[in-house]
Amino acid sequence: MVNVFWIHGGACNGNTQSFLNADEPTVIDLVTDFGINILYHHSVSMEFGNQVKEILDDIIEERTELDILVVEGTVIQGPNGTGRFDTLFERPKKDWIYDLAHKAKFVVSIGDCACWGGIPATSPNPSESTGLQFFKDKPGGFLTSEFRSKAGLPVINIPGCPAHPDWVTQILVAIATGRTSDITLDEYHRPETFFKTFTQTGCTRVQYYEYKEPVEEFGQGTRKGCLFYEQGCRGPMTRSSCNRILWNRQSSKTRAGMPCIGCTEPQFPFFDLAPGTVFKTQKILGTIPKEVPTGMDSLSYSTHAAIARTVAPKWAKEDMFVP
Amino acid sequence: MAQQTIKVPSLGRVEGDLDVKVKIEDGVVVDAWTEATMFRGFEKILIGKDPQAGLIMTPRICGICGGSHLTKSAYALDTAFHTEVPPNATLIRNIAQAVETLQSIPRWFYALFAIGLTHKNYQSSSLYEEVTRRWAPFVGVNYEKGVILSAKPVEIYAIFGGQWPHSSFMIPGGVMCAPTLSDVTRSISILEYFRKNWLEDVLLGCSMERWLQNKTWSDVLEWLEEKEEHYESDLGLFIRYSQEIGLDKYGAGPGKYLAAGSFPHPEKFMHPTIESRNSALIARSGVYDGENFYDFDQARVREDHTHSFYEGTGSYHPFEGFTNPLDPEEGLKQGKYTFAKAPRYLLDNGEETPLEVGPLARQLMVAREGAEDWQDYDPLIYNIVKEIGPSVMVRVLARFHEAPKYIRYVQNWLKQIDLNEKFYIKPGELIEGRGFGATEAARGFLADWIQVKDGKIEKYQIITPTAWNIGPRDRFGQRGPIETALIGTPIKNPEDPIELAHIAQGYDSCLVCTVHAYDAKTNKQLAKYRVTNF
Repeated sequence: MVNVFWIHGGACNGNTQSFLNADEPTVIDLVTDFGINILYHHSVSMEFGNQVKEILDDIIEERTELDILVVEGTVIQGPNGTGRFDTLFERPKKDWIYDLAHKAKFVVSIGDCACWGGIPATSPNPSESTGLQFFKDKPGGFLTSEFRSKAGLPVINIPGCPAHPDWVTQILVAIATGRTSDITLDEYHRPETFFKTFTQTGCTRVQYYEYKEPVEEFGQGTRKGCLFYEQGCRGPMTRSSCNRILWNRQSSKTRAGMPCIGCTEPQFPFFDLAPGTVFKTQKILGTIPKEVPTGMDSLSYSTHAAIARTVAPKWAKEDMFVP
Repeated sequence: MAQQTIKVPSLGRVEGDLDVKVKIEDGVVVDAWTEATMFRGFEKILIGKDPQAGLIMTPRICGICGGSHLTKSAYALDTAFHTEVPPNATLIRNIAQAVETLQSIPRWFYALFAIGLTHKNYQSSSLYEEVTRRWAPFVGVNYEKGVILSAKPVEIYAIFGGQWPHSSFMIPGGVMCAPTLSDVTRSISILEYFRKNWLEDVLLGCSMERWLQNKTWSDVLEWLEEKEEHYESDLGLFIRYSQEIGLDKYGAGPGKYLAAGSFPHPEKFMHPTIESRNSALIARSGVYDGENFYDFDQARVREDHTHSFYEGTGSYHPFEGFTNPLDPEEGLKQGKYTFAKAPRYLLDNGEETPLEVGPLARQLMVAREGAEDWQDYDPLIYNIVKEIGPSVMVRVLARFHEAPKYIRYVQNWLKQIDLNEKFYIKPGELIEGRGFGATEAARGFLADWIQVKDGKIEKYQIITPTAWNIGPRDRFGQRGPIETALIGTPIKNPEDPIELAHIAQGYDSCLVCTVHAYDAKTNKQLAKYRVTNF
């Protein structure tokens, strides 16, 4: 039996909704086959009112062991650090999260909000939101960099807006089946098994990327081309497995024609959604992308691009994803 | 007279936190306060951002209604940009919105609502054992089917939008995708799978065509007895159980309703404007005051701040509105008690009135006479309200009734997609303008008001269905719809008031959806006894 308490702070509940789409295992399999015992989850538990408070008190007073604390949503610290913008049982939610985190064997942040603040933390951050162990890309966050859960690990970050259900269920299963030593984390505490590859890895548009062929416009224009050149796609600079493990078993944003907006990275939303930055590649002198794929620089990028254009086969200008 | 005030903190399964405070006299609720406890401040964040920022930000207000948020924020930009939207794009927006709602119906019923029906209060019911066998959390046979199959409709969303939740694939001028033949054929087959395996086999026990023949409450009662499959279906069981445990007797609500309407006709909304919206909708908008129907006019919408933790004490039209939060400690001193604002609608007689939104409201609007032949005309839910009055049960029936209707819509829209035509028409730059976009999320009226100046957002106001329903009192002291719905409810056990949960959950409020959402303290003018330990 693995006891899980799922708490939400400044959340849209999108990670819960995403989680409910899970397959192999489904949410129900997790409970019935993998011994995941959900002590409380705000959307699926029977308990309400003070029954929930009893569960919380049992954990904090160590009458119940907490194996995994799942946090969804930001830690809301406003106004002025009081946390009164988000309360539970007339107590700032942030204080509950602090207490629970210090009782849990593992702490797992699900979604950008819990990892690093996400959308609510976008400037001017009116709720004074932060992530558990990062604020945007700065280490620290609510619990500080030194925090370790009882099992000796930092907060495990499963980012994304929302996180893909598989990223969540497979990590829960890994913990439940004793494979935690196989979970290696990157500098942002993301499990590398899901976040070493790029969003571009497995994208159906990658051949167009190779030959520098852009998507000219949305809609019918996405029947060919790569979204990196004009539409601001962050696929080559974003670590995720969106094109390796498809969404809702069907597709991904880039496959469907929507540029990756980098939502597994701590800087999301990029450029704070300033005017002129939405669905638009930022360029130097109107030609060279300001940000080039991870590991390249402007010179190596431009050299490669010039050669790629020269050698591009004729089909690279043709629609591939035809009716 | 035995009077007590009880407070139910963290009323779960309303997609977020809701604290409910009620005053009970002789076992019946006589007054109520709903308190939303969280503030994130999306409307403040949007100021100064790229005009299209709402397409990325607003779906993240609510994880279960993200596609609806995206739809209305795209239409807000369409009306501000004066775009042309090709019919294919409208079809795909409609499909995406409808499948999101189709996901919500079983997910809401099984995961959020029906598990409350297995509460031990109802142990003496002859149907209790069967209800528990089907709907108990995680182990109920139909709980499992319902929760797992609820993921199917949004697979169609992912085919067109890349993923669900939280794609931003709708943009001013259309949609980002250009589907292929197999995108459409696969969508048809996913929809058929959902129809067969959940809607017909589990929910209805009959074909959706048979269910849709029901036009009156007596038709429904006849349908129930017509075949064993109907009687034993989840819908059949729900109706019988509701009547036994009294879900048809309480939770009436304010009796006045609003729908923003949804699903523009693809040929009739190619140049979206605020003024032309009502007449282009397949599922009609409107206001119903219990006697008459009225056209919906966004200019009559107000948000009252009197009892909300925001600066201001009056009411404001969203084009004039603002969202400056107060520290709840300060707010409480001013008689404020929630982070939800109080949306109101200005009537002809000059009154600002609270209105209920959601499936019940929309299924009343479609009963209004005078529909065009391409618009939805459907008298069933109106007839049920006239015959037996609104209640928790009727609210649930309205939601279920939309499942077959929406499947039929999506089937038709998939047929109409012309793969060789445009899905997007590029608009010009948006430097200055104001727009209004609205739709019906699964749980009701949802709208954005945007003002753009110098190429950036100057003002952005959002009104969610949850704000309409769980909003507080206004400056005239009129209660919000759920506050009203709670009054008169019989509470069997004040130590465990499951009835309050049924009402709040029956509205399917998603608390995170209030955008601004509390802190509760004893309201000083009440409280004779305050029970907080249950």
